[in-house]
Amino acid sequence: MIQTIEASPDEIYDIELEHSLLEANARLAKENRSLLDRHGVAAIDVMGAIGSGKTTLIGRLVERLRDRFGVAVLNGDATTSTDADLIAGQNVPVVQIATINGCHLDANLVGKALRKIDLTQLKLIFIENIGNLICPAEFPLGSKARLVVVSVTEGQYMVRKHPHMFLGADLVVINKVDLATAMEVSVDDLIADVHKLKPDIEVVPTSCKNGLGLEELTKSLLAM
Amino acid sequence: MHELSIASAVVDRVLEFLDAQDAKKLLTVRLAIGELSHVEADQLRFCYTAITQETAMEDSTLEIECVAAVVECPRCSYRGSPKYWEDALCAAPIPTLECPQCRGAVEPVEGNDCAIKTIQFVRD
Repeated sequence: MIQTIEASPDEIYDIELEHSLLEANARLAKENRSLLDRHGVAAIDVMGAIGSGKTTLIGRLVERLRDRFGVAVLNGDATTSTDADLIAGQNVPVVQIATINGCHLDANLVGKALRKIDLTQLKLIFIENIGNLICPAEFPLGSKARLVVVSVTEGQYMVRKHPHMFLGADLVVINKVDLATAMEVSVDDLIADVHKLKPDIEVVPTSCKNGLGLEELTKSLLAM
Repeated sequence: MHELSIASAVVDRVLEFLDAQDAKKLLTVRLAIGELSHVEADQLRFCYTAITQETAMEDSTLEIECVAAVVECPRCSYRGSPKYWEDALCAAPIPTLECPQCRGAVEPVEGNDCAIKTIQFVRD
């Protein structure tokens, strides 16, 4: 004889869901990466706070590279197109990604932007993330490398205040070092802070004003 | 405020599940948040309460469990807790990717993710 029990409508059910909340973005990031790999294009995700100098730095790197091979820029910006306009002046393909107040780019938006440009003509894409040293860290975009930019004008403690961002970085730039003395900020201490978090990471001090470190940074990016 | 993105992902997945089960009310959802993920529990709770209103998840309990970081060293084969930066003048010690044993660079192997573990619901 078989006995049956049935759940009553008010029975409480416990279910193991085991669902990663970061998986959807991670999956799209992988798709972006395969698309880029198929075309032999490397993307660099450039992250840093508002005013750290990401746009100017990308502009300087584009100037150095655009005659050697195809370069494009995806500019993430919550509201304005000022950064995209600046880079577009250099006659390279630019797509502005307006997040409409969103605090980070995600792989879905970047995937849409990648479909707006002719990848067959390119070797390198700079993706300028939203100015924010916290949120973008959680959302990989499918880039080959993640570059974090901090500048001496943000003060002495910018690295230790945003440790997670550096744990996921592949390369770090300490920017605006021409202003270090005026700001009374030690570039060596900032570099030491980065190495405390991640001992083997390369840190390049730069100045877009006098060109310091730009050659070294270009070489490092091309070697990635 | 990426916690809103995370809270939305929770709500989307749970509502989809409840709908498929023809269940009317969620009682509890339990999340596991990695120590190395960048999710702030209080902000996540705030977002969760706000966006679950007038859904089958309204008034449900959000339980958050922290998953400790585990790192591995490719150089000396250390596996275990990360080294913490104790004197960084922060509210809590900061986990680092420096090997506590040989001072080389370690790889994080656990504590990166943010996931829904279990849910508890009633059909009616």
